[in-house]
Amino acid sequence: MASAVRDGRTARAVTQAAAGPAGRVLSGRPARALGRIVALAVILLWSLFPIYWALNTSLTTQSGANSAPAHYYPSPLVSASYRAVFGIGGAGSGISGQLGRSLVNSAVESGGAMIVTVVIAILAAYAFARLQFRFKRTIFVSVLATLLLPAYATLIPLYRIMASLSLVNTYLAVILVYVSGFLPLAIWILYNYFNTIPPELEEAAFVDGASRMRALLQVVIPVAMPGIAAAAIIAFLLGWAQFLFPLILTTDLSTQPVTVIVAALDQQRVVPFTLLMACGVIAAAVPGVLALVLNRYIVQGVTAGSVK
Amino acid sequence: MSAGHRGRMLPYILLSPLVVFIGALSFVPTADTTVEAFFRVNPLDPPSKFVGFGNFRALFADSVITTSWVNTAAYVVIGVVLSVLFGTAIAVALKRRFRWRGVILALVILPWALPAVVEAVIWNWIYDPTFGVANSALHSAHLIGGYHVWLGLDRWLTIALIEIVQVWQITPLSALVILAALQSVPLDLYEAARVDGAGPVQSFWRISLPMIRPALAVCTVEALVLSLNIFDQVYILNGIAPLGSSVMLQTYVTAFENLNFGGGYALSLLMTLATALLSVAALALLYRRPEAV
Repeated sequence: MASAVRDGRTARAVTQAAAGPAGRVLSGRPARALGRIVALAVILLWSLFPIYWALNTSLTTQSGANSAPAHYYPSPLVSASYRAVFGIGGAGSGISGQLGRSLVNSAVESGGAMIVTVVIAILAAYAFARLQFRFKRTIFVSVLATLLLPAYATLIPLYRIMASLSLVNTYLAVILVYVSGFLPLAIWILYNYFNTIPPELEEAAFVDGASRMRALLQVVIPVAMPGIAAAAIIAFLLGWAQFLFPLILTTDLSTQPVTVIVAALDQQRVVPFTLLMACGVIAAAVPGVLALVLNRYIVQGVTAGSVK
Repeated sequence: MSAGHRGRMLPYILLSPLVVFIGALSFVPTADTTVEAFFRVNPLDPPSKFVGFGNFRALFADSVITTSWVNTAAYVVIGVVLSVLFGTAIAVALKRRFRWRGVILALVILPWALPAVVEAVIWNWIYDPTFGVANSALHSAHLIGGYHVWLGLDRWLTIALIEIVQVWQITPLSALVILAALQSVPLDLYEAARVDGAGPVQSFWRISLPMIRPALAVCTVEALVLSLNIFDQVYILNGIAPLGSSVMLQTYVTAFENLNFGGGYALSLLMTLATALLSVAALALLYRRPEAV
């Protein structure tokens, strides 16, 4: 490829042959092509370096991590931090138990919030997209307006509501709070998706004698699966990332999610950075892998209705 | 129940879970914040007592709180400007189709998908005064003479470096929204401009920018709300020190560490109003649908 870059026409022919009609990394004059590659390299470096750095530190020894100048690859390469964090060989101190339990808590809380959010949002978004009723616009606008409602507005009252119901430090409190926060976005995503589905599909079902609910369950939901997946994954990622609300709503390891535990380990100031980075990598692995595998749903969800 | 009656009731049945949730856990709490901001509320010392603007006067007299207001303004300015700028740059670089674009896009989204707290812990290590890679890399490049303590000494440097961590997380959101807008610009507009002799820079300013204006407005408001609420990054990288403190952090400290709920409510109410006013102002200033061409 390097020799091809010298000659713009060859480069174009080569990349097009290699990538098909859509592939044109090196199209245009060589200087422009080079600028393009540099720009993409800078973007990738900016996006990935901190993540790489956490991996790098988690895979070396404390003295390797503390070397000056820094080692840009793990040297020596060891798995000791992960063995300690997973409690292999009894070297985990308290960290492995805390991290394991908090990962379960995070999964229950963000998974639970995801399911409840999606079910409620499907019902509501369908009503907004397809049915005519009084106060429709008022309800729709007031629900979406809560998208702009900052955490400030609800932080203290939500804590007091949960305290008065004796729900502090329960999964239920965390899930209820998450659902109320994620619903407007999920409804916005699903409302836009339902509007792209032709009503004729349901009308055909009505002709066959199906009720509204049956049409929703058997015709609309299967067709809307990509939109539902977008709403679900975004709700799950938002749930996994929560910190402030669980910080006040959870008080011990029975409900504290992994974000709270990682922050607590960081605040202790005695956990070495090699271990801390291993914990960080593990806490980030679930959302990271989901985002890489399901990124097209995220793109679709985040940009829902934004083109208009 | 007749079929017609059920049909008329159906929308309300479908909406009832939503209305219960948003009503009980968004509207009632917001109303509660608005009312309680005028009361002295302390869970260890009930009952609550009406104090008028007393909570607000106490806030304005507290230098730690007023510092956090100015700090938050700095967080917002840096956050909005950089995330929209970087987001636009990334969107422009990824606008045209090329072979690895899908993969690169997936990687660019990554910082948005990870928990802010974990990211802040990682950046805390990057900024570390003795072993951090920021010092090591800048020193190797001869950009600094010796290792620096980056956080906690200089107020504006601390704020800028903490906000960079948030910008790193929220930029993908702007990039995606702006990219979607760029891709919806009709290609014949660019073709026409090229025929008229416009270069790439000119067609960006004259065609792309006006057409993506609504998307830029959306990104601005998103960055505005997120940076007004900055908490996780400040909690990890600044702690509760006044130097780089944000209003959200002070709200947390006032209510949940000092157990002064009334003061927390008053601070919350001010910031809720500020968020609403600034969002509406930003939309009114920036949001213009492109004129039909």
